[in-house]
This record gives sequence, C-alpha cells and structure tokens, in this order.
Amino acid sequence: MCPSNQYQKVYVQGAAAISAFGMDWRGLGAAITANKITLSPARQLADSHGSVFGSEVAAIPAAIDVDARACKLMSYPARLNAVALRQVLYDTGWESARDEIAFYLGVGASGGSVAELTEMLRASIVDQTFTLDRFGTAGLAACNPLFAFQLMNNFTLCHGAIVHGIGGPNSAFYSRGNGTVAALSEAMHVVASGECGRALAGGADSALHPVTWAQLCRDGYVDQGFIPGEGAGLLALSRESTHALAELSRCEFHSAITLRAGAARLLSDIFQDFKPNVDDRVLFSAWGEPSREMLLHACNESGVSTVIDIAACLGDALAAAPALAWVAALDLVVTGNASRALVLNAGIDGGLGCVVLRRVV
Amino acid sequence: MTTAVISGVGVVSAFGVGAANLFDGLANARSAVRLIRSFDVSHFPTRVAGEVDVAAIERHWIMQHVGTINADTTVLDEFESIGAWRDRKIVFGLLAAMEAWRTAHCGIAEQEAGLVMALGLEQAFLEDFAPFFNDKGIDWQAEQAVRSTGFRYRSDVDLTAQLLSRLLDLTGPTIVNASACAAGGLAIAQAASLIERDAASIVLCGGADSMVNPLGIGGMTRLGAPSPRCELDACRPFDRRRDGLVIGEGAAMFVVEAEQRALNRGVKPLARILGYGSSQDAYRVTAPRPDGAAARKAMQSALKRARLDCSAVGYINAHGTGTLLNDAAEARVIRDLFGAHADRLPVSSIKGAIGHLMAASGAIELAACLLPLQRNILPGTAHHQQKDPHCAINVIGEQPREEKVDVILSNSFGFGGQNVSVILGRYP
Repeated sequence: MCPSNQYQKVYVQGAAAISAFGMDWRGLGAAITANKITLSPARQLADSHGSVFGSEVAAIPAAIDVDARACKLMSYPARLNAVALRQVLYDTGWESARDEIAFYLGVGASGGSVAELTEMLRASIVDQTFTLDRFGTAGLAACNPLFAFQLMNNFTLCHGAIVHGIGGPNSAFYSRGNGTVAALSEAMHVVASGECGRALAGGADSALHPVTWAQLCRDGYVDQGFIPGEGAGLLALSRESTHALAELSRCEFHSAITLRAGAARLLSDIFQDFKPNVDDRVLFSAWGEPSREMLLHACNESGVSTVIDIAACLGDALAAAPALAWVAALDLVVTGNASRALVLNAGIDGGLGCVVLRRVV
Repeated sequence: MTTAVISGVGVVSAFGVGAANLFDGLANARSAVRLIRSFDVSHFPTRVAGEVDVAAIERHWIMQHVGTINADTTVLDEFESIGAWRDRKIVFGLLAAMEAWRTAHCGIAEQEAGLVMALGLEQAFLEDFAPFFNDKGIDWQAEQAVRSTGFRYRSDVDLTAQLLSRLLDLTGPTIVNASACAAGGLAIAQAASLIERDAASIVLCGGADSMVNPLGIGGMTRLGAPSPRCELDACRPFDRRRDGLVIGEGAAMFVVEAEQRALNRGVKPLARILGYGSSQDAYRVTAPRPDGAAARKAMQSALKRARLDCSAVGYINAHGTGTLLNDAAEARVIRDLFGAHADRLPVSSIKGAIGHLMAASGAIELAACLLPLQRNILPGTAHHQQKDPHCAINVIGEQPREEKVDVILSNSFGFGGQNVSVILGRYP
C-alpha cells in the first residue's frame, strides 16, 4: 500500500478529459450518471475487426488539436494527451513558469501507425515468411524512421510536454490501471511536500488500436467482458486553496498480490475510513464481471446503494481509465451533486486504486 | 527524514551475469561490445552491441545463473509456457533481481517490499504477423481464427515486474517506470522517495532492457543514433571522433531500504542515496536541449535534496552516450554548473564498454557507481582517446583511476527529453 501523504493539503485547480463524451470535462460526471454516453461501433477497429462496440473519442476539433506536423510524429494516445494538456492548462490559467510544473502520467502500450507497420511487413514478408535479410535490407527502409520511436511509451507524456513547455519533475508509468494511480500519488506527494508548487497527473491511452485489441482478445480479456475505451484525463494539483475545485484527500494503490490476499478486508477498511454519507458518491472503473462484483459487494456491505459504473459508459481506457473516473467524480463534486467522491479502479493489472475528492468548503 | 540505503545489488551485462563481472570488467578497463550473435545481423547496417553472451534463452541457462530460489517457481513454468523468454529483458531482470535479493539477505520478512522497475518498450515480434499477412496486408480475420496462446506481436511492458512480484510474493506497491533512458535513474529515485516518506520500508528496484533485437537495432539505426562504424570501439564517449552510440542490453537491480531497517537485520549498506532530481527538456523527442538548462535543473535539484554543494561531488558518472550532441550538451552543463571544480572533477561514461542499456542504463550506471564506493576505483571511459574541446571537462580516459571519493552523481537523459540525476554517498 502507498499511503496518503501526511503533509499539506492538496487541491485540484483544474482538469481535462478527452473522451467519448467530448473534449470538455464539465458535465462528464452528470452525463455518466444519466447514462447519456452510449457505446458505438469503433471506427478504428472497423477495417481490422469489424463491428466492435466501444467508447471512442470523436474527431478532435482543429481549434484544439495539435498541429499537423507535430501530430504526424505522435501516437494517438500522445495526441490525446497533448490535447488534454492544452485543455487543462486553459482550465487552470497556468500560463507562466510552465517549466516548473511537475507531470506524472500513466501511459499504455505502444501505438504506432498500422499503415507504417504494414509497409514494413510488406517489404519483409514473402509467401507468409518473415526473413531478417529482407527486413534488414528493405523492411527498415519502407517505414518512417520515427516509426519505432513514436512507439516509445514515454512519448505519450513527452510530446505533450514539448508542445506545452512542461519542464518540471516527471515520470511516465506504464499502466493498465494502477500505474495511473501511482502517477497521481507521485504528483500529490511532490505538491504536498512542497517540492513543486504545481503538478499535473493522469493517463492517456487507447484500447482501440488493432494490435492492442488483438492482444486483448488473445489474452482472454474480451471473452471476460472487456469493453474497449480510450481517452485522456488530467488533474491539475496545487497547495493553493483559492479557486480550488476540490481537495484531493486520498490517493493509494494496492498490488494484485495484496488484493488476492484479502480484497474484502481491504475494501472494508477503505469504506470504514470513508464512511459514506447520503450526499457522497462512489464511482468505480472496473473491467470484467469478477472485479465489478467484488466492488459492488463491498459497496453493498457498506450500505452504499448507488454506485456509478464508469466502464459501462466509457469502456476500459486502460491507462486512461482511472483518470477519466477521477475527472467524472470531480464534475460531480463541483456541480454540487456530491460532497465527496470515492473512486475505485480495478484494471486488468489486477490491482486496486482508491482516490477521494472532497468539496472545498 | 528516513535515509534510504542500497543493501543489495544484482547485475546482468555484456560482461556476464553478476555484479562482480561488471566491477571486474570496468576495473580492468575491458570492453564487452562485440558482434551481435543472438540473431543474424549480416543484412543490418549496425552489427555490434553490448550483448549478453547468450543466443536463444532457455530454462537451463536461467537456472544455471539464477542461483537458489527460495520460492515457489511455478510462475517460471507459467511464463515459460507463454514464451516469455523471447523477450530477453524479462530474464535479465529476473537474474539481476534474484542476485540483489540474495546479496541483501532478503527473506520472508522482506516480502512487504515494493517493486519499482524501469522497463523498456515492448519487444516486437514481427515474424508473428507473417502467417496472417497477404497482398492486402494483415488479415485480422485469419488472425482471430487462430487461438494459440502466448506472446504474439509484442510483449507487454510490465511482464518483468509481474514475474518478480509473483515469484517473490511482494506485497508492497508495484510501479513500472517507462521513461525510456531516464527510467532506471527515476526508478531508484522513486524507491528512495517511497522510503523517505515512509510509504515503504524496503523496495526492490532497478531496470531491465534489451533492444538487441531486429526492430530495436533496426529502428535505432534508422534514427541515426548508433555509430555507423561496426567496430568494437564504435562508442567513444566525449572523444573528438565520437559518432554515435552502441546499443546494449542487461539489467541492474537493487534492494533499497530504510537505513535502520538494514542495520536492524544485520546488513551493512553498500551506499546511501543522498539525492535525486528530474526534469523535462520540453524541446525535442530525439535531441537534447542545446543549452542543457533542463539537465542542469535535474542536477541542481539532486544536489539541493542532498543538501550538498557542487564541491562535495567527487565523481560524475555521465550519461555520455557517445553521440555528438548529447556529450557536448552534458559536458557544457557540467562545466557551467560545477565551474572551476569541473577542472579536477573526474567524469566518465561506461557506455563505451557495455553499450547503452536504454531503460536500464541509469540503473546499471548506478551499479557501476558502487565500484568507487566498494573498491576505490573510478571506472574509465572505454575508447576515449582524443579530447574534444567541445567537451571541456575532466574525462577519465580508458584506464580506470584509483581514487577514493565519497559522493557520486549519476546522470541519465532520455529519449523524449526526460532527465534524472541521482547522488550516492559512501556508507561509512
């Protein structure tokens, strides 16, 4: 367990969410609560896998998109993150001294262009046989030299940081759930301890990349009810309570092994500590029925009758899933629909994340 | 504040399996860069690497090197059944972790440990697409019809961490740092941070990576990063004739724990982690910021956290990739930050000897920093023969230097612009 920090209080100053709901985070929680976001056949998988229902981001408006030249070098999650960064910086008004802002991000698998991959394979495969001599002589020459490097996982963070000049302490955590909570935990720590005045944290990812989807199918997640999603979610943190949207009062994550050893007790402890009231909300982002049932059971045991299931609306956006859930929770807190929001995530990594946002009094 | 110390270390490098092999290789001024043997490179423009001496990894090779495992090894069978050894970094991480665990005398009481691992990008298996590839491209329908299990197309980034946490039954927080060449240093910094803020009392941490594979070598070559010369001295850090890096592979793992915890169980620490700092260039993904401002900030931040003045630093283990831009930028920053002290401050890079281990580079270079602290030997810079006026710092040449230093700074600057500096101190 990674306990909450004991230093100064940490506040949320702004947020961003790029999701199937749209390019704005305000209204996301309400839309999910009202079941206004529906799954639809994923365009990105139509050519490769036919009709797969998922939660897909609509076309990004040119006014907020990264410019075409930068876009060409980015994986799709990197582009989503760059757009989310633009939005959160606008939301907070953080215009100055961006080189001091810390940035921690949950990132997913590599997500290069399938068209580039196809060209490389076409030059390397003859009669369904891949050979190193063809790859070495022709395959490598057939693709954009940056192909392999737009794939680097940390570039999801770095492209955005470059576009927007974010230069403080930073790390990219590989995430299929908990890595993104680790990112928020680090951001919370550097702010709470006074190491940084401001920090950004969240996740960006897509489960709708054909190779990622093929792997999720092969690994059995799809058979167990995995709904693909995508997006980017960011929270902006500082110790400044003026104009704060909410207080980030808890952030912790537990490994799959800890969970296997006693999920019921762990969840019971979390709820006992949270002590849900009638004007609090519990949101969860869990993949598959077993995780969903585990969280529902814990909610029932604690007397929580209504839970908001993020994955039912937004699918599982892998590294982005917890972050989108936090932002939805923030929306509920800000609009007065909740005094506090407890967000639980159980990603395909088997871990458990727990975040609490509290209305600023 | 709780002090974080290193109480165990494990290494896999081109010098062989085991930290002693790395220390011996560096202490004896050897270079382990060689012609790649693990796959046929005859049609590749780059044919040398700091390659670990094993072709196709099999279970008997793992068991030969792993030593005694006081744990249920069923998980190894499971990983073997999915073809996990195809991704070499998984095995390197396993071997290094087991050595670190063993040398730190860890047992059941240490299963509360957290795990912070720096891991490189997925290894791509392009040959897996071949059975489904036709004139129109990848036939995804045919791909779906085949229900074989195991690795396909690319390995998951976090498999090494999954393997270690399950094998050792670690119950602490598990974090996978995917920050490219800065990841190794960041992982150790984060482990120290977890200790300092009492979020963990012990952490198994470090990095593992291998880009010694067709797409890794080929992609880097297309980017122009490796030296175009396929010679054993291809990487010449800070040398006037330098023309690129050499790719390496391997792992370095550490047990980092609270000082008092180590002492309570009778383990003498190998070093103290005094400070660390990170920054982001926010410039370009494949080139360092020319003014080095962000790299300087990372070093300053590490010094500030360590509460040390520049003059306290006795040796710098540089990122020193052997590329034209990186070495010049790093040298400029060291000169600017350390001022007159830079004239006598020894600096070296071990990348000429073992290659650039990418996500594991920061970790293995911190392991190399234990050589001065344990044996009073500063590693040399393999193949550095001609000084470059654009790198006006005190670079140690090919021969290691006998000198006792108490404070060491290690730099890692990554693709994407992420920078990290870590400061180690001698344990009395």
